[in-house]
Amino acid sequence: MSTSNTSAQGQRLGLTCCPTCTNLCQTQNKTCPRCGQEVTSRDYSSIQKSWALLITAAILLFPANLYPITVMTSQGQVRKDTIFSGINHLIQLDLLPIAIILFTASILVPMLKIIGLCIYLLAISFEVPISKRKLMAGFHIIEWIGRWSMLDLFVISITAALVNMGQLFDAKPAPAATAFALVILLTQLAAKVLDTRLLWDRLESNDDRT
Amino acid sequence: MDRDVLDKSIVLCRSCDLVVRKRALPSGVRALCPRCNSYLYDTPYCSINGMLALCLAALALYFPANFFPVLELHFLGSVRTTTIFGGAMSVADQGYWVVAIAVLTAAVIAPGLLILSVLLQVLIVKYQLHNPFFRKIYKGFLCQHNLISQLSMLEIYMISIFVSVFQLSDYTDLYFGIGTFCFTMLFIVVIFLQREYDIEHMWSVLNEYK
Ligand SMILES: [Zn+2]
Repeated sequence: MSTSNTSAQGQRLGLTCCPTCTNLCQTQNKTCPRCGQEVTSRDYSSIQKSWALLITAAILLFPANLYPITVMTSQGQVRKDTIFSGINHLIQLDLLPIAIILFTASILVPMLKIIGLCIYLLAISFEVPISKRKLMAGFHIIEWIGRWSMLDLFVISITAALVNMGQLFDAKPAPAATAFALVILLTQLAAKVLDTRLLWDRLESNDDRT
Repeated sequence: MDRDVLDKSIVLCRSCDLVVRKRALPSGVRALCPRCNSYLYDTPYCSINGMLALCLAALALYFPANFFPVLELHFLGSVRTTTIFGGAMSVADQGYWVVAIAVLTAAVIAPGLLILSVLLQVLIVKYQLHNPFFRKIYKGFLCQHNLISQLSMLEIYMISIFVSVFQLSDYTDLYFGIGTFCFTMLFIVVIFLQREYDIEHMWSVLNEYK
């Protein structure tokens, strides 16, 4: 692909891409001729929306990790597990591969998502000089791995439905489950509402060597 | 600049608003943005009859996958089974309805809507139903397609079933139900359906009947 027109933004030509159907539209038309949805060149309020969602998610990360996420009763013994202690328990049971999967999905992915989005938003809001290419690569990774945090919620629902034998053998979700579900939801939304084109407008191109 | 020529020969990057000149691509190759590496476009490859077959297969598998037991637990002589739907319901019963909605949406509702939406789109294209009523339905489905396909997380549920089996195998005996088989088949069929489906192509069909 040609690199001669690297700096040409669609905005300068009065063109924009419809967010719903990706049709090429003229900005002055206000609506997309193909799908009828509203089009704007940039969504400047998306930064604030994204910050709000991200900060809420970051706050909820604490109850999600500090409170128990499951309560397991086995032969009269009651175990309350937080996300972390549950993974620890799996390691003790020699289920290392499962522990790694759950650690990645429930701890690593949400943390990386929040930290990554935070760096991304800081870079746009305060024009922190970080390579835009690296930020964008990080953003693509965040978008792709974000879904995998749902794994823990699925496991909880399967376990709670199966293991339900009263005092002898029982598994139930605990308060952190709701907090964790909200963290996933809010971080996904924070990434989705953000208009990434703003990054390429606001930061000067001297942060990139290319 | 001539707008008609412009509309067909250039494309704007959705992530960074770069203007890129379109080129013919060999099939199976995706064009990426030279600046931020986001996906731009590929050669539309879309067989209506193939998609119809896949949709019908998916629809036939959808109901047994959701309402037949995915796992069976044998504990002290008693047998418990659970379905995907039942898993979500048991979490909701204990008051964790946020978790239940997340599980239901990602594993039951969104995949169902995805199959139904593609099926109706394919039928409208195949039988050339282009009166205003069907056009409106068609447009509505296309507008929602990205959201629905992002929400459906069959692959993650698949992994969750296996994680649950390993986690619980320490306490008790577990067996796969007929639902697991149907669910696996559904998952495979939906992967092929999503590979075959091309939203740009579906949008261009709408333009042909203006
Ligand atoms: Zn780009």
